[in-house]
Amino acid sequence: MNRTGSLYIEKTSFIHNLNGAVKLLLLICWTVFIFLFMDLRVFLSMIIIGFILLKMAQIPFKKIKTLIWFVVIFTIFNSIFLLLITPEYGSELAGTYSTFFEIGNLNITYETLFFSLTLSLKYLSILPITLLFLFTTHPSEFASSLNKIGIPYKVAYAVNIALRYIPDVTDEMKNIINAQEARGVCFNKKDAGIFKRLKNYVTILIPLLISSLNRVEIVSNAMDLRGFGRYKKRTWYHQKTFSIIDFLFLMISFGMIIVGIYLKNTLLKNFWYPF
Amino acid sequence: MGFFKSLATMQGLISLIIVVLICLGVYIFAKSKGKKASISTKDVVAIGIGAALFAAVSFLSIPIGPNTSFRIAIALLVIFGAIYGPIVGFLVGFIGHALNDALMYGSVWWSWVFMSAMIGLFAGFIFLNKSFSVKTGQINKSHIIKMYLYSIFGILAGSVVSYLGDVFLYGEPADKVWLQIILANISNFVVIAVVGIPAIIALAKRNSKGSLEKE
Repeated sequence: MNRTGSLYIEKTSFIHNLNGAVKLLLLICWTVFIFLFMDLRVFLSMIIIGFILLKMAQIPFKKIKTLIWFVVIFTIFNSIFLLLITPEYGSELAGTYSTFFEIGNLNITYETLFFSLTLSLKYLSILPITLLFLFTTHPSEFASSLNKIGIPYKVAYAVNIALRYIPDVTDEMKNIINAQEARGVCFNKKDAGIFKRLKNYVTILIPLLISSLNRVEIVSNAMDLRGFGRYKKRTWYHQKTFSIIDFLFLMISFGMIIVGIYLKNTLLKNFWYPF
Repeated sequence: MGFFKSLATMQGLISLIIVVLICLGVYIFAKSKGKKASISTKDVVAIGIGAALFAAVSFLSIPIGPNTSFRIAIALLVIFGAIYGPIVGFLVGFIGHALNDALMYGSVWWSWVFMSAMIGLFAGFIFLNKSFSVKTGQINKSHIIKMYLYSIFGILAGSVVSYLGDVFLYGEPADKVWLQIILANISNFVVIAVVGIPAIIALAKRNSKGSLEKE
């Protein structure tokens, strides 16, 4: 994470040159598209397309490796949880019943196994497009693109402030934690019970809150003095005009939704189980 | 369509009715209190810095079981809601959670983002109470009881939304989602009760005194 609090990496690919608003719309349409289905084939093809786009954006794999690991580990835990709690859910959806193995009362079926694989891929297929947006959109353009798709500019500006202050607030929090530990307040597992530790966190939260509330006063006064919120609309420093490629991607985003709804109603209605 | 078919089950219908009731309740409540709904510059900055705090404090958590932990950041939602009102509470939860998810994990779990946002929204209702103010330190027993009640309502409303999102959008089995929601709610409520509300009381007490006082 760099000093602006975002994951942006400066490069010169055509995806970097795309308008932020278009990328945000693509992200939203992609997510809606994924939400429509429960079909392994769709997810696999979207994952492949997504990673090709990431490659085109020249994002080094080293940077996204840990984030991909997070999701993979999360989905593995999620699948184990799912298999233990609802071992026969996949069979209900698929309509067939073939036992994989039994542990006591639990009857894990092949269908559920396949279902949890499908579900894991569903989560993975939202990942590349989110990464694409986060790594190729400049944080200042982020706010202007939010504004462009219809979110009030005050809310968009709040997002901008949040990105700006994440590193500052994190530094401050670390200082306070060190100061409290030096005074003998314990946050470690070994030193105190769980409720004692939970209560100790109040000693971090109060000073952190007081300084943050002061910060709110200072920043909002500065903004008021410069006339923030005087008019109903505002312009942005990082605002680009739409190019032909932007329009192309805009069409692709809306096309995805239409194709998605068509496919959902004709070919790929339910959970896909090939065996 | 599969989406509408799944809505037609008993659970789906009940959850829909609950959502409609909650929306109606919130609308009537906001109308009856009649404070203006536009956001000031101070609110904008409070949302921004609150969301940044949420993201920073999300590093602090005490794991208590698989996929469940006491997340201290939840307490911030209640605090910002009480100081700045329901709109700020909602947006601090929404933006803070979404940004933290995006920057930490690279993907956003939308249905649970709404859980945080709902807790913030409902915690903000205490702000609409005219006799209550953290800034001048006006707080009494009935306010504290109300804060606990509002946070329970917020947790319930958030649960319904994240249940709907997880089951109908992400396609998770309903039984599993219920179990996860119950676990998450217990830990969230403990954090609010042990960290969040005591912090509000402490802040209010600090503000009610003058800065110079003999200890």
